[in-house]
Amino acid sequence: MTAPRTEPNILDRYQDYRTRRFLKNERRHAHSLPGWRSQARRRMLVVGLAVTFAFMLVVGILCALGLQWAPLLWLPACALFFPMWIALQIVSGRRGDAPEGALDEFEIAQRNSARSIGLTVTQYAMMIPIGYLIFGAVITDGADADMAYAGGLLALTVLIIGGCLPAMILGWTRTDPYPED
Amino acid sequence: MSPVRRGEQLPIHNRIGVLRAERRMTRAQLAALIEVNPQTVGALERGDHYPSLDLAFRICDVFDLPVEAVFSRTAFTPLSAELYGRRAKGSIDDSSAD
Repeated sequence: MTAPRTEPNILDRYQDYRTRRFLKNERRHAHSLPGWRSQARRRMLVVGLAVTFAFMLVVGILCALGLQWAPLLWLPACALFFPMWIALQIVSGRRGDAPEGALDEFEIAQRNSARSIGLTVTQYAMMIPIGYLIFGAVITDGADADMAYAGGLLALTVLIIGGCLPAMILGWTRTDPYPED
Repeated sequence: MSPVRRGEQLPIHNRIGVLRAERRMTRAQLAALIEVNPQTVGALERGDHYPSLDLAFRICDVFDLPVEAVFSRTAFTPLSAELYGRRAKGSIDDSSAD
């Protein structure tokens, strides 16, 4: 944490705007989905998302195998993903992508740790679709549309996993408040 | 969680839980006074998070105590034992002086 500067620059003003917008959204959803805010329920959402990601990867592999109907399976995957992701974001207070001004120092430390893991996983996991696309393009002379489509889907899935991972980690690890609280 | 980047991890013990209970204060009340999330107070009490100097001073301001009364490198003994143990030791010293 640094001491406040005398004159805020454009970055500070943007962060202030982000913080105000975040706090406004937080107030709006503060009492949404009360039954899903416990750690056990949050973990159910995290497991549901992990299963959805596995399904997305399977869809990518089926597309690589050239099944004509396989791309249609992406629609049910999205239909599973979006409600669970939005619900997890609401019940975990969007701690994974909150601006610093909206968090205290413990929450910032937790968020940074979760983000660091998310970034590392994304970097390593992205090597798989990238390698598949590079070597596949060389082997097929870039003529296999199924391979390109599947590579795109796999890359998209890995990016979604990496983007969601901080919120999933925080949703999984954050303990329930004590009854007194 | 310690803010220290490298080197040996040194513990920071605190009396926040005892002082809070003594003043019949809930975690939420203390959290509101020091402007953190109530769960952060829980993390501080459990020793899961070591506070920054700023947060440590805020906590000390609430209890109106010096930093060394709230935080220590060594584990705190119970307040009652510290207070009455010292008195008992003092009275023994007094009687031996007589």
